Amino acid sequence: MSSNKSAQAVASIVVLLAGLASIIGALIIDLMRFELPFRGGLLVLGILLFFTGLYFIPTEKHHKTIINIIFLFPLLFCFAVTVIIPFGLGLFYSTTDWNGIRMTGFVGLRNYTEMFKDPSFLWSLIITVVFVIINMIVVNVVGLALAVLCTSKIRAVGFFRAAYFIPNLIGGIVLGYIWQFIFNNVVLKWTLDAFNYNSSMLSRYNTAFMAIVLVYVWQYAGYIMMIYITGLTTVPKDVIEAAAIDGATAVQTFFKIKLPMIASTITICTFLTLQSAFKQFDVNMSLTNGTGSVQNFMGQYLSNGTQMLALNIYNTAITKNNYAMGQAKAVLFFIILSIVSIAQVRISNKREVEM
Amino acid sequence: MRRRLFSLMVAGLMAMSLVGCGGADGAGTSDSKGAAGSGKSIRLVNGKIEVDPQLKKLAEMYEKETGVHVEIESMGGGIDIQGELKAYYQSANMPDIFVCGGEADFNNWDGLLQDMSDQAWVSDTDAAYVSDEGTVGFPYTTEAVGLAYNADILEKAGVDPASITSPDAMKKAFETLDSKKDELGLTAVIGYYAEPVNLYWSTGNHVFANYLDAGLDRDDTTYIDMLNDGGKLDDKRFADFADMIELFNKYADQALLVSGTYDQQILNFASGKYAFVTQGSWIGATMTGDDKDAYAEAGNFKCGMAPYAFEDGIDTILTNSPSWWAVYKDGNVEEAEAFLQWLTTDEAQEVLVMEAGFISPYKSCSYVANDPFAQTISDYTAAGKTSAWHWLNMTDGYAQNYTGQVFADFASGAIDKEGFIKIFKQVTEQAYAK
Repeated sequence: MSSNKSAQAVASIVVLLAGLASIIGALIIDLMRFELPFRGGLLVLGILLFFTGLYFIPTEKHHKTIINIIFLFPLLFCFAVTVIIPFGLGLFYSTTDWNGIRMTGFVGLRNYTEMFKDPSFLWSLIITVVFVIINMIVVNVVGLALAVLCTSKIRAVGFFRAAYFIPNLIGGIVLGYIWQFIFNNVVLKWTLDAFNYNSSMLSRYNTAFMAIVLVYVWQYAGYIMMIYITGLTTVPKDVIEAAAIDGATAVQTFFKIKLPMIASTITICTFLTLQSAFKQFDVNMSLTNGTGSVQNFMGQYLSNGTQMLALNIYNTAITKNNYAMGQAKAVLFFIILSIVSIAQVRISNKREVEM
Repeated sequence: MRRRLFSLMVAGLMAMSLVGCGGADGAGTSDSKGAAGSGKSIRLVNGKIEVDPQLKKLAEMYEKETGVHVEIESMGGGIDIQGELKAYYQSANMPDIFVCGGEADFNNWDGLLQDMSDQAWVSDTDAAYVSDEGTVGFPYTTEAVGLAYNADILEKAGVDPASITSPDAMKKAFETLDSKKDELGLTAVIGYYAEPVNLYWSTGNHVFANYLDAGLDRDDTTYIDMLNDGGKLDDKRFADFADMIELFNKYADQALLVSGTYDQQILNFASGKYAFVTQGSWIGATMTGDDKDAYAEAGNFKCGMAPYAFEDGIDTILTNSPSWWAVYKDGNVEEAEAFLQWLTTDEAQEVLVMEAGFISPYKSCSYVANDPFAQTISDYTAAGKTSAWHWLNMTDGYAQNYTGQVFADFASGAIDKEGFIKIFKQVTEQAYAK
């Protein structure tokens, strides 16, 4: 029995090592840029051999761990290939002068210091924050108001729910072009007739910014409304009945009973709007593509008056052909967003404990 | 035992799915390699989406003739082609032939392009793109930038387009036309649009190109050299240029000046509502294509081009290749070169000129396109009154991120002429500071 076991141990370790060797071999072939067609097959074979060997190692103690590793591997592998490795490469590229095709040298942290000296980037950062704050408030207030409307006893509630939600089903790019047409043709005609004002709302950064907020709220409020409706319908009927018996008015019921009961929904919706407003890209791109002039910001004329952070990153990389700088900005963008996400998780956890 | 068997089966299934992914991957790469090796297929990335059907037709003809499959991949309509190509490069999916728009593009691909100096077509054209690595760009069409006009309307108003060679003459012509606007059925004298989101390229690249090149000899690079030397503008010349833009703003269609689209601009010109339009020869294809009905209704009027005469004595229009096709060095060079050579033959030129509306840059080509602007371009070329264009050598994103907006601000009245000049200089310095 024991000789059988030790034979199995030897065999499994041999298989495991063979697998490891072929994985390393395949990676070397790839990294040295030999154009051998079987390198992919070799890699897969190596992985299979490795895990077969691992599985048959005769151990009682670690067997469970090994099974866990085997089952987790596909997920971890995909995660590494699609997220971890590109992220590492991104960090690496942000310290070089990469232009999307090749790099000629390292610049250290210069990209990071340079971007804070660039007024147009600072402007993008500021208006993104302003945009986020405005939207966080407006989208939630409008969404909640619509939700209250759609949970009341008016007629054709189903129709209203669908109608408010539909803008969310239209893609941001399409929506941007539709509204661009409206602002440039319909609204412009009104302003031209009324004030003889020949430029559209989209041609000045302040009115264009309002336009983006408007379109964004129009697109997103319906979605937030749906979440609030779910929240409002879970408020227990008996509590509301009790309040009614105590003589609370509808307004009192809303502010003193319903709002506290849906506090967790409010947290979720706030962070949802916060994150998505921060990442705003498609409507921004198709509606104004970042144009709109600022006559004087830190002593400079800026032509990117409505360019938010995500669009600024895209523009730096693609139109200005500066991929490394774009990458550095994207890293900063990631850091900001992860801080927001961590805060969100912390706060919602805390709430859950309280409830 | 049973459980063990089950878990083995599951593990086996998972392994198989892994093999499945890997296998497909391997097959994919070996497939493309095999095709490239046997030389039966090449891929071309085209930047002029409007001629996609004609190119596909050419590809079919070529496949019938030689058995080589040519895959046409057209991009356009706001896609950043260079960005897309970089993504292809990163994923080792480079086309064999792709479009390059000018110095910046060619510099990006420095060392990755095939020198085609030994090809037969090189001696047949002056328009090839030559870098210090040799002849790397294959020219396929010629375009012209000039102040396009509706010859019928000018004739009716008694304005001789040949007289427009000075700012005063231009101003006089505009005033004459403006006073007869109603009887001529004009909405505005000039279809000048300065919308910054989708039309920045018209003002920032093509109109501004006249500051860089109008009136100069084809090899004169004075102003582009100044610009590329840290973003310097010639004060006198730029002030004159600004005067012309002010004139355009005044006589433009106020309802669409800051918000109109390319489609509206061409449609209105084709319908005879503008006497001039600030677009180049490429609108001929739109006028006889999409706007065919409106153009016919307006009487299929004759078109021509006047110089953008913002200084006395400017009498040239700008003609150039708008972009070139380059061959990727590590791709299927032999077949790609053979295909490009074939494109200069008679039967291919016939499709390119007669159907795609290209103006051939090849001397041996005998076809003349049935395009409203073909005549005026060949007249200017014959008289030697053409300048090259160098706006392709401007810094990346100059029009889109910087100057397009300044033109729009000037048009909307947010800034006056002095402000326009001052801010234009400022943004130019910003653009070149990077």
